[in-house]
Amino acid sequence: MKQMIQPEFIKLQATASSQQGVFQTIADIAVANGIANSAEAVVEGLKAREEESTTGFQEGFAIPHTQVDEVKKPAIIIVRTETGIEWESFDGKPAFFFLSLLIPKSEAGTTHLQALSALSRALINEEIRQAMLTATTEIELAHIVSQAISREDD
Amino acid sequence: MAKKKIVAATGCPTGIAHTFMAAEALQKAAEKLNVEIKVETHGQVGIENALTPQDIKEADGVIIAADKDVQADRFHGKSVVDVPVAKGIREPETLIQQILNGQAPVYYASDYKGSGEQDANNVEGATHHTNGKWIHTIYKHLMNGVSHMLPFVVGGGVLIAVSFLFGIYSADPKHEQYNEFAALLKEVGGLGFSLMVPILAAFIAESIAKRPGMVVGFIGGLLASQGGAGFLGGILAGFIAGYIIILLQKLLKNLPRSLDGLKSIFLYPVLGIFLIGIIMKPIIIPVTGLNEGLMDFLASVQSTNPLLLGLIVGAMCGFDMGGPFNKAAYVTGTLLLAEGNLYFMAGVSAACIAPPFIIAFATVMFPKYFSKEERNAGAVNFILGSTHITEGAIPFAAKNPIVVLPIIMLGSSIAAIMTYLFKVQVPAPHGGFLVLPVVTGAFQWVLSILVGSLVGALLYGMYRKKAAQKKKIEG
Repeated sequence: MKQMIQPEFIKLQATASSQQGVFQTIADIAVANGIANSAEAVVEGLKAREEESTTGFQEGFAIPHTQVDEVKKPAIIIVRTETGIEWESFDGKPAFFFLSLLIPKSEAGTTHLQALSALSRALINEEIRQAMLTATTEIELAHIVSQAISREDD
Repeated sequence: MAKKKIVAATGCPTGIAHTFMAAEALQKAAEKLNVEIKVETHGQVGIENALTPQDIKEADGVIIAADKDVQADRFHGKSVVDVPVAKGIREPETLIQQILNGQAPVYYASDYKGSGEQDANNVEGATHHTNGKWIHTIYKHLMNGVSHMLPFVVGGGVLIAVSFLFGIYSADPKHEQYNEFAALLKEVGGLGFSLMVPILAAFIAESIAKRPGMVVGFIGGLLASQGGAGFLGGILAGFIAGYIIILLQKLLKNLPRSLDGLKSIFLYPVLGIFLIGIIMKPIIIPVTGLNEGLMDFLASVQSTNPLLLGLIVGAMCGFDMGGPFNKAAYVTGTLLLAEGNLYFMAGVSAACIAPPFIIAFATVMFPKYFSKEERNAGAVNFILGSTHITEGAIPFAAKNPIVVLPIIMLGSSIAAIMTYLFKVQVPAPHGGFLVLPVVTGAFQWVLSILVGSLVGALLYGMYRKKAAQKKKIEG
């Protein structure tokens, strides 16, 4: 489970200032860490999902996600931008904290999918959101997320 | 007081994130409001935390927060709040409150057979929410019929109109105006036109009872159209057909599952068509009888006074637009024409031209309150009206006949009354404005039609405006 989120998958203080920029940052991290073999495909996949309906949540959180062939192993990539970006979120606030879920098309095992859904559930929990927001290092944030996804579902 | 119990189902197309966020949000909200909740998630992994029939039975209400099918048939008879998944995430407490306050409407699945069986019955799985608003349901069925009928009216009507450009008698091989191409246009156009009522009936029934309904509705519509019962007969046939199938589904519910295939391919069509025939035949006879009686009556009124005559002719032509009443007036006009009475037909023609003009002017004068599709159809009505094709107004009237028909009847009556007062003479039984060169008092005739049409258009436009505003407030 730990492999899904690692400090290397996280970029705090990213400079992206547009949706395209955020997707590109996510895709670059994915390729650099061997999660996906095509940055372009990841960007396209995220964009396609976004067009269906916004992944914006609230208080600046968004969960762009996609499931494409080019993703080779499931991962959670986190990008936190310096500036807020319009994401059509529920509360109308711009998004700056992006928890991106990348899933291989061939993902057969349900374990990883369950971990990702656990992360989605965790986002509803205000304490966990606060903890994520206040984390100052990649290592700290990776730890918080890792705990959130291995949390027992009640 | 015992703790209230709610069940919920969440789902989104990708099934990765929002499904679970909504589930979590609902659970948190339930905890806060001290309500017991069980949330079933339709994620990519499949259905998790599935609701058992026992859960559903015990629940005080159901929340569906999904952008995909979550097999809602199971919730037949329960109070259900049905919203997009985003609402489940954003305002879970409001949704739960709706159930607690008893504001949630009761959900009806028309073909309820108990959980787990829906998949085998997708052919007959016509589900619809009544929301306690049966008028809305009827409107929805009607609209399904109208939207499928519209292309037939436009396609057929325009081709017939074009054929008239070659001359009013261009399709008659015995007449000197005969033109082979025009005859072809009129033939195919007429074919499209003749399918109008059957298609209307078929898709009203389809909306009610899916494919088995459509088959029966189509036959019912054909019976109505061939029997001369017009579009009112078609609407009747559509609803009867739809509910015949619903009834059959209920009656055949207890047949073994192995016969499901046989039901949709054999039992429903055979029994359904038989039943619609039995029911429609006796309904058509009085309508046709009424039709003939009216013709006799009309001929006698002709000599009394033009005001009364105009009123009657206008109301008849506008009442069913191409149906038996309209045709009764029209045929009377034609018969009187043959006897050398050119006055009567002028009023009939004016009253037949007015309805499509009312629609066309209304869509031009009040474009805001019509959809794009309707505005396009409205423009076509200028052509249809100019060529005496009343049927162009039907799709608009069928949407809400109770309000629109009286407006059209009024507009038609004004046109007919003025025509009679001006003593206009029209020698041709069809063709609309294409026969203007042979009309005595052509200017007064067009004026009469325009006045009637504009009055009708104004009223109809104002009605649409009011309807649109009302909708806005409700929505």
